Amino acid sequence: MSKFRIRKVAVLGAGVMGAQIAAHCANAEVPVILFDLPAKDGKPNGIVQKAIDGLKKLEPSPLATSDRVQYIEAANYDQHIARLAECDLIIEAIAEKMEWKLDLYKRVAPHVRADAIFATNTSGLSINALSEGCPDSLRPRFCGVHFFNPPRYMTLVELIPCRGTDATLLDQLEEFLTTTLGKGVVRALDTPNFVANRVGVFSMLAVMHHTERLGLGFDEVDALTGPLIGRPKSATYRTADVVGLDTLSHVIKTMTDNLREDPWHKHYQAPAWLSALISKGALGQKTKAGVYRKDGKQIKVIDLAKQDYRDSAGEVAPEIAAILKNKNPAERFAQLRASTHPQAQFLWSIFRDVFHYVAFHLAHIAHNARDVDLAMRWGFGWAQGPFETWQAAGWKQIAEAVRDEIAAGKGMSDATLPAWVFTHDRVHGEPGSFSAKSGLFEPRSTLPVYQRQLFPERVFGESGEFSLQHTGKTVWENDEVRLWTLPDDDGKRVPVLSFKSQMCAVGPVVLDGIIEAVQRAEADYDGLVIWQPKAPFSVGANLKQIRPVLEAGDFVGLEKIVARFQEMSQTIKYSQVPVIAAVNGMALGGGCEIVMHSTRAVCALESYMGLVEAGVGLIPAGGGCKEFAIRTGALAAQTASNDAMIWLQNIFQTIAMANVSKSAKQAKELFLLRESDTVIFNPQELLYVARKTALGIAAAGYRPKLAPAGVPVTGRAGIAVLEMMLVNMHAGGMISDHDYRVSKAAATALCGGEVDAGTLVSEKWLLDVERAQFVDLLRTEETKTRLIHMLETGKPLRN
Amino acid sequence: MSKQIQDAYIVAATRTPVAKRRGAFRNVRPDDMLAHVIRSVVARAPELDLHEIRDVIVGCAMPEAEQGMNVARIGLLLAGLPDTVPGITINRFCSSGVNAVADAAKAIQLGEADVMIGAGTESMTVMPQMMGNKVSMNPAVFEKDENLAIAYGMGLTAERVATQYKVSREDQDAFAMASHQKAVAAIAAGAFRDEITPYAVMDHLPDFATSTVRVAERLVDTDEGPRPDSSLEALAKLRPVFAAKGSVTAGNSSQMSDGAAAVLLMSEAALKRYNLAPIARYRGYAVAGVPPEVMGIGPVEAIPRVLKQAGVSQDALDWVELNEAFAAQALAVIRTLGLDPAKVNPQGGAIALGHPLGATGAIRTATLMSAMQRDPKLKYGMVTMCIGTGMGAAGLFERV
Repeated sequence: MSKFRIRKVAVLGAGVMGAQIAAHCANAEVPVILFDLPAKDGKPNGIVQKAIDGLKKLEPSPLATSDRVQYIEAANYDQHIARLAECDLIIEAIAEKMEWKLDLYKRVAPHVRADAIFATNTSGLSINALSEGCPDSLRPRFCGVHFFNPPRYMTLVELIPCRGTDATLLDQLEEFLTTTLGKGVVRALDTPNFVANRVGVFSMLAVMHHTERLGLGFDEVDALTGPLIGRPKSATYRTADVVGLDTLSHVIKTMTDNLREDPWHKHYQAPAWLSALISKGALGQKTKAGVYRKDGKQIKVIDLAKQDYRDSAGEVAPEIAAILKNKNPAERFAQLRASTHPQAQFLWSIFRDVFHYVAFHLAHIAHNARDVDLAMRWGFGWAQGPFETWQAAGWKQIAEAVRDEIAAGKGMSDATLPAWVFTHDRVHGEPGSFSAKSGLFEPRSTLPVYQRQLFPERVFGESGEFSLQHTGKTVWENDEVRLWTLPDDDGKRVPVLSFKSQMCAVGPVVLDGIIEAVQRAEADYDGLVIWQPKAPFSVGANLKQIRPVLEAGDFVGLEKIVARFQEMSQTIKYSQVPVIAAVNGMALGGGCEIVMHSTRAVCALESYMGLVEAGVGLIPAGGGCKEFAIRTGALAAQTASNDAMIWLQNIFQTIAMANVSKSAKQAKELFLLRESDTVIFNPQELLYVARKTALGIAAAGYRPKLAPAGVPVTGRAGIAVLEMMLVNMHAGGMISDHDYRVSKAAATALCGGEVDAGTLVSEKWLLDVERAQFVDLLRTEETKTRLIHMLETGKPLRN
Repeated sequence: MSKQIQDAYIVAATRTPVAKRRGAFRNVRPDDMLAHVIRSVVARAPELDLHEIRDVIVGCAMPEAEQGMNVARIGLLLAGLPDTVPGITINRFCSSGVNAVADAAKAIQLGEADVMIGAGTESMTVMPQMMGNKVSMNPAVFEKDENLAIAYGMGLTAERVATQYKVSREDQDAFAMASHQKAVAAIAAGAFRDEITPYAVMDHLPDFATSTVRVAERLVDTDEGPRPDSSLEALAKLRPVFAAKGSVTAGNSSQMSDGAAAVLLMSEAALKRYNLAPIARYRGYAVAGVPPEVMGIGPVEAIPRVLKQAGVSQDALDWVELNEAFAAQALAVIRTLGLDPAKVNPQGGAIALGHPLGATGAIRTATLMSAMQRDPKLKYGMVTMCIGTGMGAAGLFERV
């Protein structure tokens, strides 16, 4: 069939989710019409306009760049309903009231084009029940598409068909959600709260249940249920505050109302303390008080015994912390179970009850165990889902332990574990993940869109997990980089360079590796992709490795390292084959400079780029300042005034303030990326796109752009303009003496040194200027203090 | 000390409304605004033979681009003055407008002219930055600490004044609030109606439905800056922008604006020839330098200087238009000189009414003339302001 194109989207309902879904479509260059009711007073689009304006204030921002809002058109049902005919996809995201939704469906149905998809973002209502409200003609084009909050940042989208949804349409929608919006799709069944919320909310209820049973503090439980067990920093109760206690209570109520036969039904109710907080209007973050409350700088937590807030402490007992540090999951779980410490008992209990719950319900709530695990990773930010956690800890041992404790009456329900639990020794493995519905191991989706994911995120036990040591074939490696080819790199044309260093930091060995890799690519291949199996791309210079040279006061040695950094950048820039930087996550300092010198960058939307050297009292000297001087010089040459300062002032501020982009698109606004660099939405597709890009550029007969014969610089005049900004900030007490010094060095490098304005200089001159400024700064005590502070605390010091 | 051979009189003065930067005049050129006020001011003396105008002196603080190319000459030609009338653009930053009036008066006093126009025009909309179309600073400024303040932004100098003259944030905000209240009340009372010549802006807008350009007239007749909803709570919430622990905010600083004004001056002989009654006599003008880092204090030097020149005591001043570049400097000037606050900016100042740099001096002269026409009890009036890089200016007028 012909390609299905979503040219325009309508979102019905400008609430928190609706507006943010609209924003994310706009991020992805998909124009949106955002609908809501006409306002009773003022302008008819008042409600929607307020929601659109509100997007600009949310943090983290739902908007990839602030100009995105212009692609969201405000509309209301009374005046603009006929405009639904312009839209290929309509997402309903109004309040969770069945009768409201059905009323709306009746109203909009006549305006939905016959080939458009109509989807609901309900988080709990039955898709089939909702589909009954659609006319027969619309039903095959109706389904559930459940985004998680905040939709830009949460990977998961649950895709839920109703009886009669056209299968092709679901595939088309999955492709759009995956590539265009960059989401991770899990096909869910039409059961209350679908997959992630069903398991996630139960998990929260289990946490609440055992918190109370064992008499633990909410802050203590948050300390236990956060990163220590692979879950987000906001853990349990802080997450509840962020979500809103009323919303949480609402989701729980969906379970109370719709899961009457469920063996855990008696637990599907908001605990008394939760209802009490809600009735007091303490709904969490939005009312500035919930489980937690901020008093000035002190965070307070509600103490049920005292019926008041107390200072939040939340400490994990050392012996429990020691258990959690054990890398062997089987031992870890055994130790937790064996310990009598209430914190250990708590942790074991919450895992045990979730294992029990997901095993019991797997057949009804999900296609297979992989979907449950991925849903929990993508929808709740867990490092591992419940099934893989279980499998990693030893399927059989855990199964038996859970069984025994159910028998002993310790579980939250006495429901018997299903038989398959004991007839299998794993749920993930060849040829896929276990489906309790079919009794078979189901492989991954074969939709063409997944061929774009060369190394998709794997759950524990699943085959094909990426290994930096073993995946593909090693072409060459040293201690900190590996140059390798893809298993199916046809004709072995584009090798991949990946860093092994911690956070992909760049030290002398990585520098050697990049230079060697480019030379090998030039000798034997058509291109090179620099790609890391997981974020970050690179946090920049490896300060740990540089520390001894610095402490020895070996400035000659330091200058050599910087010179090597510059050599690396120039090697990339003038490589005879295209060098593609495939960026996801942070690309800071030297990492950012690698990207700046690449032939083309292919960046995931969530790329956070910045030249942050000022934070450690330095300036970009891996060619970063030099590149800006060249680029702005070229831009200025196209203007009548020849004034590169138009651009350099903003660039200077970005460097002086060590600003980091909040998206790849914003990195373009900051000039850290070029207009020609590609932004993609699904980081899983990065390597695929980068490789195709390399091949495409190579196919066009790539030659590196020749070095500019003479770069016009702004020189002394430019430095003076930038220094004027510094004088004002310094006199206004906004920057320190050393900030001034560091920024002046950046100004000098950006403007090409203390020469007359308009002087033509060479690229080498610019590199020499930035290197000299860099080494001068290294000689200062303040910069040394900043560097050591960063190494020891991980935070910048502004001395 | 005066070697003048005759007096100079103000016969008419008018101005545009003052619009917010990128506001009502966002598509109006500064030379068009100037032409408008020149046309309007001569229309107020219909008996005048336009060929008699000896020169048109126009103040403009950033005379470049749309307001460059000697905007005075372009504006007067666009206004339809005969091409025998010359024009000159002058610049002393924020005092340019009153400086132009003073220079026009001096030509008459010296007997070199009988009819002159002093004016000012400024569009801050067309200026991409506060420093004009191209930001530039002499590197030599940074070589000596004593020159550093040349590079200071005006806001920072206001912070310096606030610190040095101990002007509190609360006082600045209260002053700003009062400026808005006075301006709002003056507008409501129609106090600006006589001095303003409304401007008919022609908007050229696309009609997307018909793909044609729709030309529509929009009459601008009221100052855009004053806020009836200004409150101390709202002002207190604003964050200082020029210094980390500062007190100067967007709310207690002057607004960036667009506007123009023109003043028609004549000698006694010309008045007689055309049978015109003057509003006021020009009594003098003085400028003075102060350290650039406290430029806001400039009027403290200029005001006594002009009063001494004219032999008028400060107590004799009935109406003072003191440009409110910043509440901090306005308060410091009022307190240091002991000016009567009731006589300073009775109809509000630049914090509410806006400050189109080089036009302000002429605009506030028009306000003063209007007040003098209304109220026979006013005898001495003054237009005064501080000036970037550390100067003050004051012009003195006497009702006749």
